[in-house]
Amino acid sequence: MVSFAAEPIFSVGSFKFTNTLLDTFIIDAIIVSICFYISKNIKLIPGKLQNGVEYITETLYNLTESVAAERTAKIFPYFMSFFLFILLINWSGLIPGVGTIGFFHVADGKKELIPLVRAASSDLNMTLGLALVSLVATHLMSISTVGIKNYLSRYFSLNPIFLYVGILEIIGEITKVISLSFRLFGNIFAGEVVLSTVSSIYAFLFPLPFMLLEVIVGLVQALVFSMLTMAFMAVLTTPHHAPEEVRHK
Amino acid sequence: MEIIKNFGIEPVLLIAQIVNFLIILFILKKFLYKPVLDTLKKRENLIKEGLKQAENSKLEFEKALEEEKKILKKAQDQARKIVDDAKIQSILVAKKIEEKSRIQSEKIFDEGRKQMGEEVKLAEKKLMASVNKLSIDILKKSLKETFSDKEEAKLIDRAIKEIVK
Repeated sequence: MVSFAAEPIFSVGSFKFTNTLLDTFIIDAIIVSICFYISKNIKLIPGKLQNGVEYITETLYNLTESVAAERTAKIFPYFMSFFLFILLINWSGLIPGVGTIGFFHVADGKKELIPLVRAASSDLNMTLGLALVSLVATHLMSISTVGIKNYLSRYFSLNPIFLYVGILEIIGEITKVISLSFRLFGNIFAGEVVLSTVSSIYAFLFPLPFMLLEVIVGLVQALVFSMLTMAFMAVLTTPHHAPEEVRHK
Repeated sequence: MEIIKNFGIEPVLLIAQIVNFLIILFILKKFLYKPVLDTLKKRENLIKEGLKQAENSKLEFEKALEEEKKILKKAQDQARKIVDDAKIQSILVAKKIEEKSRIQSEKIFDEGRKQMGEEVKLAEKKLMASVNKLSIDILKKSLKETFSDKEEAKLIDRAIKEIVK
């Protein structure tokens, strides 16, 4: 049975190096390699890899532009980074060997398999971390775009009704973190559990439809996380109108 | 707290994941999005410029065609004018030549007539001299039997003088 918490594979002092952290580093290495390769070999007439990267970048940029308009340049890096990083991490769990190759650990008289690498998005530390980055970046961007006064007017008002709405907004911001992190974690973790269960029933061909489903789930979840972040950023970087202004309009 | 522990949330790992993502975000922004978007922009500008240049060349080509037509028309007009001028000129030259040849032929004719007159005069002179000589000879032969040599010489001199007169 897959545990909620990521399993440590070794420790450096009190720091436990987990299998999800190893997966994160592997994906980091892939992303960094592609980045450096592209930046060193970028040409006006693109090769196959550059063409692919350009296609993805342009598609996501146009998607951001359709939502964020003139704030695209600020929002796009977050949107694409969240999408790429989460997508690769989600799909990394489907690579044969990830989640299955490991070592046995005896705990409470039970022999347990500790996978060497495990999809990082099945670790709440990672999804919560990403959700926090998303939230903090959204609010910092909001302050830098609309100004601190306008930013605070969204949450605090002398009008009791708007103050109440503001409090609800603050609660909404907290729930955003919970929903973003738990949605991603839940979907990918559930996928892992399904795959390990199905594989334990019959390991040949039988898990294939579920793996295909997980490919789609991985893509959809990456898109959901990144598009929600983009939408939150677009909403919070739009100046908030004070009640008087709204009434005049 | 129990829930947090059950889900395996550890502040160190959480911070590690946040820092990791921020680094990846920075690298992606600096080494992927910037060069790729710059290249896309550059290519877009190049394509725009190329299309604009193609449009300009098309316009210039049409302009050149128009110019060519104008030049051709001008050249044709000029050629026609030159041919017409040449025709007029040739007629004038022909007339001039004709006039000149007429004057020259008249001159040659006059010169010939003049020369012929002189030659006739010379022939007349020569004939006269021959006739004189012949007359003298005839006279000499006919007088030889009638007059003495002295009278004969006298008569001849007188005859010569008369003839010369």
